[in-house]
Amino acid sequence: MRHPSLRLTPSRMLGAVVIVLAVLALLVWVPNDTVSGYVQSKRGRVSIGDAMAPGLAFGLMALSGALILWETRKSDAPGQPDPRGPAFLAVMLGICVVALTVMIWAGPLAVALFAPDETYRNLRDAAPWKHIGFALGGTGLVTALVCLVEHRFSRLALLIGLATVAVLIGVFDLAFDDLLLPPNGDQ
Amino acid sequence: MTDLLDYIGLGMMAVMNGPALFEIGGIGLPIALVMLAAGLFTGIAVGATPGLAGPMAMAISLPLLISAFGFSPDALLPVFAFLIGIMKGATLGGAVPAILFNLPGTPDAMMTTLDGHPMARNGQPRRALRIAQLSSVAGDSFSDIVLFVCAPFLAVVVEAYLDLPEKTALLILSISFIAAVMGASVGKGLLSVSLGLVVAYIASGNDLSPRLTLGFDALDAGVPLIAAILGVLIVGEILATLETLWRNNRALDVKTEAHGTAQDGLAPGDLKRITPVVARGALIGTVIGALPGVGSTLAATLSYSICARRAKRIPDAQPFGTGAPEGIAATEAANSAVSGANLIPVLSLGIPGNAAAVFLILAADSIGGFNPGPAVFAMPEGETNPQLVIAFGIFTLMAIGNLLNWTVGGAVMRSMSVLAKVPATRLLPVVLLVSLTAIYVQETSMFAVWATLVFGVLGYAMRRLAVPVLPFVIAFILAGPLERSAREAFAATGADPWFLFSSPTSVILLLMALAALVFLGRQR
Repeated sequence: MRHPSLRLTPSRMLGAVVIVLAVLALLVWVPNDTVSGYVQSKRGRVSIGDAMAPGLAFGLMALSGALILWETRKSDAPGQPDPRGPAFLAVMLGICVVALTVMIWAGPLAVALFAPDETYRNLRDAAPWKHIGFALGGTGLVTALVCLVEHRFSRLALLIGLATVAVLIGVFDLAFDDLLLPPNGDQ
Repeated sequence: MTDLLDYIGLGMMAVMNGPALFEIGGIGLPIALVMLAAGLFTGIAVGATPGLAGPMAMAISLPLLISAFGFSPDALLPVFAFLIGIMKGATLGGAVPAILFNLPGTPDAMMTTLDGHPMARNGQPRRALRIAQLSSVAGDSFSDIVLFVCAPFLAVVVEAYLDLPEKTALLILSISFIAAVMGASVGKGLLSVSLGLVVAYIASGNDLSPRLTLGFDALDAGVPLIAAILGVLIVGEILATLETLWRNNRALDVKTEAHGTAQDGLAPGDLKRITPVVARGALIGTVIGALPGVGSTLAATLSYSICARRAKRIPDAQPFGTGAPEGIAATEAANSAVSGANLIPVLSLGIPGNAAAVFLILAADSIGGFNPGPAVFAMPEGETNPQLVIAFGIFTLMAIGNLLNWTVGGAVMRSMSVLAKVPATRLLPVVLLVSLTAIYVQETSMFAVWATLVFGVLGYAMRRLAVPVLPFVIAFILAGPLERSAREAFAATGADPWFLFSSPTSVILLLMALAALVFLGRQR
């Protein structure tokens, strides 16, 4: 049986990881990704360089890691982190990534299939082309998340997704001429 | 003195003489007032809906407001009016589900359930709601008056007595205080602060080549402000709450609504009973609210415990927890008194103390023409300071907001009880899509949407590891001013590396920062 002060808890793991990352950033990232160093001298004038603020911030981060380890030296909430949490997060993120990917590519795909003489860029401000990606991706995002959390598929979830998209198109696209729904500003 | 009165008059005129949105009986309704009322009703609705919160509504509405009103200084008052309305309304609305369904609509309404719901269960929901409304608005009004008096005074003192090194030390004190008082430990508070600073320093330096971009061109313009703040504050909260709901399908389920009896409504003597409790709660909330980072939940808890302890010493007093009017009043007066006082450090120093203040700063930053800080309250000879006119316009809006809360707030509160029945499982995915769409509309870039998701994951992880998220956001906002004032102070003192210790005031401020970390952290 390991002594309680040596047991690896989520907070102690966090403290250790933070220290390692902060030290790595101080030794590798900050020196290699800033130009002017901690202090610079130009024409006899000494001023603070671009590395100073991030350097101090990473120093503070290392200190915070050490403090977290110090605060948990005697006792810390034991227990294993629940693996279901990260798994559920991964599923939620998967849904978001798929929905956003559909949002980006559904419009251009529809144009390629049904209006091959045009480009999506030319049609990105014309209905229905400009709504296809947002409608499919947005409805999918809302419906999938509602179904995931409620542990079941329901037609109501689909209706909520469709209604949300319809309201957002009404609010952003129909009410304002100069606003672009995703992904039309990037196309 | 005459100048001050002129500015107060100009501020009121800016609200009242703004363009009219529409007319009623031939009288034009100024757009700022219409936006204030709309924000207030939205805020009450949001507060009354479990799973939603004022900052969430402010986050979603900000891009819409900016799209509607544009980036000119004329947009400032209508946008602020809506955001202030949400801020005030959400505090009031949070009591509705707490009283009717034993379900706090906002975290600071948790203590309201202790006496509010028993009173409603005893057949007096209208009485409980009315006591909550009166106490909440009284606390809010008191706190606003303190804000109107203290913010200009504090700004003038800061401008007159603090030089660049002292201003740097003051920012260090604010960040240290927030790290010390928020969250489970000082270490985790400091971690949150350091993360906020690091993210803010990406691509924000003085060199021609942007720093800390890891070679990614997309980061050359830095991390989008709105993506970082909304990601950590809103998307992180949505992801964490969705997980809680998934684990426990009934986590935010609504219980049966309590129905009123014939004797429902304010009882004779209620006002006399709650007046001293409201006064004490308002004072506690205002003092706590003036400190950056100390939230309304602490104010409500402190006020409730003090009043409960006093009630125990009075022989025939109704015990707390059984539907005592004093219990509801103590909580609601204190948590509402926090919101006005929270704006003291925002308006006078530019230091946000809570999530609502963060969105007011974000609005000012996005629109331009108003930079919260000591300069707002400057009165230059021979010219008008437009920022001071806006500041008094904001004060006018807050006073009118209180008036609306006093008069129609109760009726709106009661009508919103139906919203407490909307399941969070269906609401939060909708809020996620609305948030991502609003961010895209403002930034017009899918990079901002992806960045928001990344910061959402960071916010989720922080919540799961008990690392407070608000210090991250506040440090992210203060990182720029901190670095700028340190650079200027270093240059102004002739490159003195000890510039922070160059005056007794800045040494005292730094010692206070250290004391906050050591003593406030040790008390938990």
